[in-house]
Amino acid sequence: MKKSGILAAVTVLGALVVAGCGSSGSSGTTTTASKTCKASIGFEGPITGPASPVGDEQLHFAELALAMDNTANKTHITLVQGDTQLNPANAVTVTQQFTSNSSIVAVVGPAGSQEVEAVGSLMARAGMGFISGSATNKTLTTGKYPTFFRVVSNDSVQGPQDAHYIIDHLHPKALMIVDDQEVYSTGLVSEMIPVFQAAGIKVDHESVSQKVVDFSSLVAKVTPATTVVVLPWQIAANAQQFGRDLAQQHKKAVIFGTDGLFSPGTFEITGSYVSSFGPDITAIPADASVAATAKAKYGAFGTFGPPIFAATHVIDEAIASVCKAGHTPSRANVLAAIKATSEPTSILGQPIQFDSHGDLVNGKFFLFQINSAGKYQLIPS
Amino acid sequence: MGFFFQELVNGVTMGALYALIALGFSMVYGVLKLLNFAHGDLYMVGAFIGYFVIQWFGGPTAVSIPVPLLLVIMFVLAAVLVGGLGMAIERFAYRPLRNAPRIAPLITAIGISFFLENAALLLFGSQYRVYNTPDFISFSSGLQIGSVSIDSVQIMVLAFSLALMIGLRLLVIRTKLGKQMRAVASDREAAEMLGINVNFTIAATFFLGSALAGMAGVMAGLLFNQVTNTIGFIAGLKAFTAAVVGGIGSLPGAMLGGLLLGIAESFITGYISSTYTNLFVFALLIAVMLVRPRGLVGRVQLQKV
Repeated sequence: MKKSGILAAVTVLGALVVAGCGSSGSSGTTTTASKTCKASIGFEGPITGPASPVGDEQLHFAELALAMDNTANKTHITLVQGDTQLNPANAVTVTQQFTSNSSIVAVVGPAGSQEVEAVGSLMARAGMGFISGSATNKTLTTGKYPTFFRVVSNDSVQGPQDAHYIIDHLHPKALMIVDDQEVYSTGLVSEMIPVFQAAGIKVDHESVSQKVVDFSSLVAKVTPATTVVVLPWQIAANAQQFGRDLAQQHKKAVIFGTDGLFSPGTFEITGSYVSSFGPDITAIPADASVAATAKAKYGAFGTFGPPIFAATHVIDEAIASVCKAGHTPSRANVLAAIKATSEPTSILGQPIQFDSHGDLVNGKFFLFQINSAGKYQLIPS
Repeated sequence: MGFFFQELVNGVTMGALYALIALGFSMVYGVLKLLNFAHGDLYMVGAFIGYFVIQWFGGPTAVSIPVPLLLVIMFVLAAVLVGGLGMAIERFAYRPLRNAPRIAPLITAIGISFFLENAALLLFGSQYRVYNTPDFISFSSGLQIGSVSIDSVQIMVLAFSLALMIGLRLLVIRTKLGKQMRAVASDREAAEMLGINVNFTIAATFFLGSALAGMAGVMAGLLFNQVTNTIGFIAGLKAFTAAVVGGIGSLPGAMLGGLLLGIAESFITGYISSTYTNLFVFALLIAVMLVRPRGLVGRVQLQKV
């Protein structure tokens, strides 16, 4: 796979050089190329439903990246929206629509690991490259979905990293860990529990559906010895309610959440921790213009949008590079160009390059703590 | 024992909420034999109304009127507006199908449910709206009995639910409208022949049932803080389950079913595992249905032929 990746990179690079030579000194060639560089990208995300705050943010950042890249590359790439509601069945339907639409050459999304599991084979059969900005389950990149990529790290990095932080810094003797019955959550839990148990911590593993909003019965089980509650959830509003139930029953446990809980304005239980695959781009000077544009256009945002911006940008650049090489932006060509991606810097504050199974090379996670004003403060790694 | 009573309080609070929604569901079934799957969405609309009332009066951190008055306005507005919406749904969606095969209004009810859910999405957006109840109703004004915490919102929900249930029971048993409702539920044609205005009675039933759902929505908003356009689905499903277990069409049955469901959920989560809550709860409910197929207080209805 590595060889084929290098071969693809060399091919695209060679084509670029040829195209570049052909156009040297002639601005007209670029115009001709841009006129023919038309393609569509599918967007799969939870635009409606309980996870729609995530989907909305992802859609906004996909649109933003597309607009900026179209201007910069003089391409005519359009976005076709598909609402999955974070539901694998819906994701399958949307994917079938996308794969049968010949103008769609690659897909951004879907958001959830459970959805990637559902659509991975369909995408592979259609030869469609797809890049998720939030699906982190480690089993997705074992090679079973050859057209899948992600611009964020996976659970095998996040789970143990978070667990070690909890052990080393929060020193719990007993903790409760609650999954939300989705692949994303159960995957992270299965990575964390062995680390806790190896450290001799008593673990109470619980499980609640994402649709549950009353946690009072569960919170009653938090004993005085339980000083940490780990919530690897996707719905921030649920965690906020969990935190309120803890306060109402006078329980002192600290909440440690993951990705989905990064939602300033929704989840703001003082003292809680949130580990996220995405950085706070408002704190990255190089992202100031994107952050300002996004805020002006769509309002406040969290960490789900920027990875989708990065994913969309990778696809945009792949399409543009294929066009510049004088080739048709077909699914196969775009897929090859995605595989060859090597961006030295990105909106995420780190380079983007994929390994042979589509995982981000040298990806990292970011840890935040919520202060009494509800602000998310980055904890230096 | 503290843990037991904490779970009991949690279960009864949740059960009271289920019971309130189940009451409306059961009332409508009683008079029309219609499974109104849009009922959960009326609860959602009520929750949104409560949210917007809080915003109109300055938001949770800066409420511009006394909190008791705010609560009264929230409940009254939710009851009146959602009740009116329920009547409108009955008038324009169900009444034209009253004599159609029973599957037609059932499908219409599902359609209305989707319509309300998506209308809310269009009007209010997809993001969670948060009541932030602790900002204007303090936990500290609740009760602490040993290790059992009962916050003021739980007390209010319990007291108000109980009052509504008793009030509804009295209305059905002691008032003229209640008698008309029972007559229409028993035999619509005979009731009409006796001079009862069937259309009015059915509309009033829809108003009352929907108003209860609307007020339950406000209570849910105060208890669980979050409102979005999809919260009605699970609430409607649980209310349907509670109504069936209690004996659909029976008001005491709906109350009992709701309380049983809430308490069962709470104890199974507390004493077994949250992982298997639905499994055990529904196994228990199936067992109830096997022993009493018409529900806990449902009666076999004899039909003269």
